Amino acid sequence: MRGPRRGLWRPLGVAATIVLAASTLSACSESGKPTLNWYINPDGQDTLTSLAEQCSTDEYDIAIQLLPTGATDQRTQLARRLAANDSTTDLMSLDPVFVPEFANADWLLEFEGDAADAVVDDDVLAGPADTVQWEDKIYAAPQWANTQVLWYRESLAEAAGISDALQEGTATWSQVIDAAAQNDGTVGVQADRYEAYMVWINALVQGAGGDIVSDTEAGVDAQVDIDSDAGRAAAEVVAQLAGSPAAQSDLSVSREGTSLGAMFPDGGAGEFMTNWTFVYKNYEPNDTNGFTDEQFADLAWARYPRTVEGEESKPPVGGIDIGVGAYTEHPEYALEAAQCVTTPEAQLALAVNDGLMPARSSVYEEQELVDAYDPTLLTLFRESIEDGGPRPKSAFYNQISGSVQSTWHPPADVDPERTPERSANFIRDVLGGKALL
Amino acid sequence: MGNTPLRKIGVVVGAALILIWCLLPVAWIISLSFKSQDAITNGSPGFFPAEGGFAGWDNYVAAWDNEQFRRAIFNSIGISLIATLLSVIVATLAAYAIARLEFKGKKLVLSTALAIAMFPVVSLVGPLFDMWRAVGLYDTWPGLIIPYMSFTLPLAIWTLSAFFREIPWEMEQAAQVDGATSWQAFRKVIVPLAAPGVFTAAILTFFFAWNDFVFGISLTSTEAARPIPASLSFFVGSDPFNRPASLLAAGAVIATVPIIVIVLLFQRKIVAGLTSGAVKG
Amino acid sequence: MSTTTAPAGAPASRKDKAKASDRAVAENRLGLKLVLPALVVMLFVTAFPMLQALWLSLSNYALTAPDDRSFVGAQNYVTALTDPLFWRTMLVTVAIMVVTVFFELVIGFVFALVMHRVIFARGIIRTSILIPYGIITVVSGFAWQFAFSGTNGFVNAWLPFVEDNFNWFGEQFPALVAICVSEIWKTTPFMSLLLLAGLAQVSEDMVEAAKVDGATWWQRLWRVILPNMRAAIMVAILFRALDAFRIFDNIFVMTNGAVNTESVSFLTYRQVIEQFQIGMGSALSVLLFLSVLIIAFGIVKLFRVDLAQARGEG
Repeated sequence: MRGPRRGLWRPLGVAATIVLAASTLSACSESGKPTLNWYINPDGQDTLTSLAEQCSTDEYDIAIQLLPTGATDQRTQLARRLAANDSTTDLMSLDPVFVPEFANADWLLEFEGDAADAVVDDDVLAGPADTVQWEDKIYAAPQWANTQVLWYRESLAEAAGISDALQEGTATWSQVIDAAAQNDGTVGVQADRYEAYMVWINALVQGAGGDIVSDTEAGVDAQVDIDSDAGRAAAEVVAQLAGSPAAQSDLSVSREGTSLGAMFPDGGAGEFMTNWTFVYKNYEPNDTNGFTDEQFADLAWARYPRTVEGEESKPPVGGIDIGVGAYTEHPEYALEAAQCVTTPEAQLALAVNDGLMPARSSVYEEQELVDAYDPTLLTLFRESIEDGGPRPKSAFYNQISGSVQSTWHPPADVDPERTPERSANFIRDVLGGKALL
Repeated sequence: MGNTPLRKIGVVVGAALILIWCLLPVAWIISLSFKSQDAITNGSPGFFPAEGGFAGWDNYVAAWDNEQFRRAIFNSIGISLIATLLSVIVATLAAYAIARLEFKGKKLVLSTALAIAMFPVVSLVGPLFDMWRAVGLYDTWPGLIIPYMSFTLPLAIWTLSAFFREIPWEMEQAAQVDGATSWQAFRKVIVPLAAPGVFTAAILTFFFAWNDFVFGISLTSTEAARPIPASLSFFVGSDPFNRPASLLAAGAVIATVPIIVIVLLFQRKIVAGLTSGAVKG
Repeated sequence: MSTTTAPAGAPASRKDKAKASDRAVAENRLGLKLVLPALVVMLFVTAFPMLQALWLSLSNYALTAPDDRSFVGAQNYVTALTDPLFWRTMLVTVAIMVVTVFFELVIGFVFALVMHRVIFARGIIRTSILIPYGIITVVSGFAWQFAFSGTNGFVNAWLPFVEDNFNWFGEQFPALVAICVSEIWKTTPFMSLLLLAGLAQVSEDMVEAAKVDGATWWQRLWRVILPNMRAAIMVAILFRALDAFRIFDNIFVMTNGAVNTESVSFLTYRQVIEQFQIGMGSALSVLLFLSVLIIAFGIVKLFRVDLAQARGEG
């Protein structure tokens, strides 16, 4: 019995040792100097990496950890770590819409006293400053602000005769869609079933003077307002585009990147496209992208289109806030680092290198930024951020957004008469735990 | 069955169809991996890269340069190998008992294995996530190795017990009669006979672990343990707003290379294992 | 191990009967010892979490609002079972299961026949057929998603009657077709290998005898070959059906559940992992588990599959 038995158990022991070794492997890296993990989203990786190096000190190092591309995936990854009380989540780049949810779940460390004053002062634009606050406390530091404008081909707008309306900022979605349809052009939006579709719908509803939900502090008892004239006006825009020849063939799966190619296609007049600020750098001719100076000169921009005539548009706003994990082992260091990566200098570098616009007013005056961008564009960005409409600020934002996406997708099925009502009922049911999402 | 010309033609056509069926999508993903990323952004329909849209090895270089992807490969190889090793050891013990010994509870083990082979994996991610974060196994290698073991054991036990049942165990006794100790008899006679079965079970187990996606995305959150399939689904290119189709294709091809190598080397064994484990004659 | 059958040092003073039962006891004990690790590992990750899910499913519990946790009894089950979304995902899942298993069975059988008959290039064919089997499902999903893509794929260009810019993922039906294609492509080889093994069991003599009796090829197939492969076919159906019912990877990669393509597995995953609704998610987990049991039971009863016999088990 003995012989064969030992022979069989030995590999088991070896294997058990391997598993143990593997499990302790991750903990081995701890030497004297602590390392703060900073979970970043993929925009501006190179600049953020050098920021992490610059903000590392004699007392601690900052290491970059990359999150997935989509906002929802980013939230999922972070939330799972935090739900597991993970002490190695020190710093995180957060989409502003998720700050309330994270703060409400006690996953974020509050910025108090000097730290709070430093990250939200008078220089920070009102929109971004508002996103980091929850129940009158500050839970994150605004790092950069994002907004959408209407990008288009000047030649297309001229052919359609709506250049003036665009430059005055009075053009409506309806005009833009018709202009594209009648001139062999297309309209690029984000209408896949994901967060950016919610961005579009929210901007349309707010542009008509309404809200998707209000009284969001009430949590699951928030007031649902989407079943309103504003909601119907928004649905009309979506339905009009979906039924128009100007719709791109991949409308129902369109994302930020998918409509870029339609600006300068091989055939056709190009497009009108609502998209974030990064678009400018995308079309700026360089060695690898193959765009010409003539094409770049034809690229124009205007304020986000209006949902209804006579009502100012509410451009979408986004960006990134830096939060500190509630379970970090080094709260002082992390708070200090969060301030370091959101200084005006840091914001300037992100704007110049990556087209990620500053959350601080003063940075827009910096010569380096003015040189890197067309001045009219910078002004447009800043105005859009200031006038923009935020998405609902709720601890249950994810459910609200998911409900809207679910009832408004695919765009071709949006019916102005029924969709807003259906989505209102669905949001209520989901928040009340009465429906599956 | 006869060998009419008609039948011959049918077999040839059928064989060609099988090859096309199996290899066309593989050829497609390889072809896609050679399309340049700019061509993808601006739209490049068609099976082959368009003229001017050929990327050479760029996508492979870029995929390999991606630190997260390299870590994922390392994780996948490490986790799959350890899970395979442990699973095969545990399964060998069980399969031996099932094939050779009479004991109470044999039926129980077999039914359990059967039930687990059919278990809806997704229904476990919630409770497992909860358990793992409580005991600190979340986002670690053992956190994936343990469920991989559980779900590969049924297949491994079946394959192995089918093999073990075929082994002429009398030879062992014959060897002992010839003066070998029981350990020698086991090592010199039984091990060589059982080795192919163990090996086959190991390959099939490895395939399962390499392929797993549900546990990979639910029980990890960083490159500390994230395996290849999960990493591919979160793949991030240089342009965060574009799903880098051709880069992803390059990553997918890299992830498939180990599978193709294993298949090329051990084709016979895999076929034998798959068929003997599930339907024994 | 060998000692169990060669009890060299057994005390000779005892009676034979006692010796035999002694040995039986020892064998019993050894058997249990040997299967115990496997049993523990299998149950630790399945039975124990399933019991926990049963408990969690009785409360309203979201990870993002841990303070609001409360006991709600069967409320989650009532909500799920009265929700149209749940039944829609169930319908989609069953549809995928039926369609994919049907095509896999038919195509897989043709492949098995060819492999059974083919005399040349056996190695190449068997090697090729293992590639889809071994390829990661996620990779298969991506390959087909890009193949069906209007902007970068080739399917639209190759298929007649399909416009070049047709968007396969814009509506439920074409999106499900794309998902099924990926699923069928990847798993048909596995099916064909199982069927090949069954085909090898059919006695050539019987086929030959039928031929002598003047049966046509078609008659031989239906009267002799298929009935004799029954066990193999049923096992293949059972396994593939349960596997298809759990479909998740392809949906996650190809549509992420958009345009009503969610399966029950996908819905469960989203409740637990994306929504952090542990309570509701656990209820769905339990329902998913029960569905699999019902389907397995249904197939076994309906087709009278004798698993023990099919496995060569006494």
